[in-house]
Amino acid sequence: MVSVPSPTETERPPLPVKLVIAGGFGVGKTTAVASISEIRPLTTEAAITEVAAGVDDLTHTPAKTTTTVAMDFGCLTIDPTLKLYLFGTPGQERFGFMWDDLVEGALGGLVIVDTRRLDDCYAAVDYFEYKDIPFVVAINAFDGTIEHDLDEVRWALDMAEHVPLIVFDARKTGSVRDALLAVLQLALSRAEAAVTT
Amino acid sequence: MAADEPASHEAEAGPVGRAPAIRPFLLTAGRVSGGGTAPPLPLETQVVSTPTGLSVLNSLTFEHHDIVAACRSPQSVAELAAGLRLHLNVIRVLAEDLCAAEYLAIYVPDIRATHDVSVLRRIIDGLRAVPD
Ligand SMILES: Nc1nc2c(ncn2[C@@H]2O[C@H](COP(=O)(O)OP(=O)(O)O)[C@@H](O)[C@H]2O)c(=O)[nH]1
Ligand SMILES: [Mg+2]
Repeated sequence: MVSVPSPTETERPPLPVKLVIAGGFGVGKTTAVASISEIRPLTTEAAITEVAAGVDDLTHTPAKTTTTVAMDFGCLTIDPTLKLYLFGTPGQERFGFMWDDLVEGALGGLVIVDTRRLDDCYAAVDYFEYKDIPFVVAINAFDGTIEHDLDEVRWALDMAEHVPLIVFDARKTGSVRDALLAVLQLALSRAEAAVTT
Repeated sequence: MAADEPASHEAEAGPVGRAPAIRPFLLTAGRVSGGGTAPPLPLETQVVSTPTGLSVLNSLTFEHHDIVAACRSPQSVAELAAGLRLHLNVIRVLAEDLCAAEYLAIYVPDIRATHDVSVLRRIIDGLRAVPD
């Protein structure tokens, strides 16, 4: 039975945790969120800072512009005290960008890759590496086929050995679940290592 | 321990800045979240109306009213922004103002709590239970 909070008491919210789903335009971020979220994905406007590319004069601060982008997200209630949020972060291509505002506190990231357009995910891979956020690279196998084998993708993306590379289907709940579990396992290993040292 | 205690997370009630022409920022008298020293509220931060907020709901107007009404059930700042169709940074500022007025409780997630081994195991177990 659902208890209706009386107006004189404030309901205790769940502890919210988040994962970030990144990748280029049209790689399947929103599809992946929709496949596992208990709500239809919502969209909000967020601001990201873009750092103009090609600034290499260290004495100058790179030109920064703030861009408003649409961000999709969904959630999954683990239990009444714990809720997982999934944020599909936009941003790819030629710009450096700063998602710090969106990513702050994230447990990890899932970088979705479309093998027909590998370039679109460089920015996300670089970002998670730079921020030292555990992440998994997941190839969205559009129609069950991928254009490059895994070693080629790993090489093309210059991925570190320890970063998992998986193939998944953004339209399938079980496949998205397993991809997210791969990210969470990394986060868990890291947390366990921190406890024992 | 679930979320952190409600933070007062006060926005400085300083002089009203020059309001840009873009409507969302007029709501917040020209202030946007994240510009100051306090870190912006994380997207997943939970907000809930307080009994005080609900008791004065009818006297609140516009976005203040909508936010306190929407937060009868706890939700994240991201959900609130999406539901009310307001820019995230506008929600952040308004939520902080309403928190300072004690109409809203803001639960900023504690990074030690969210990255705790037992919490991670619970998430993993919960996610594993999701059927194909
Ligand atoms: N055939 C196929 N289409 C997909 C798959 N994943 C996503 N799509 C389609 O690709 C388009 C872009 O996906 P979307 O999730 O919106 O990409 P986003 O921009 O990363 O959020 C949509 O029309 C999806 O229906 C897939 O695995 N197979
Ligand atoms: Mg999308």
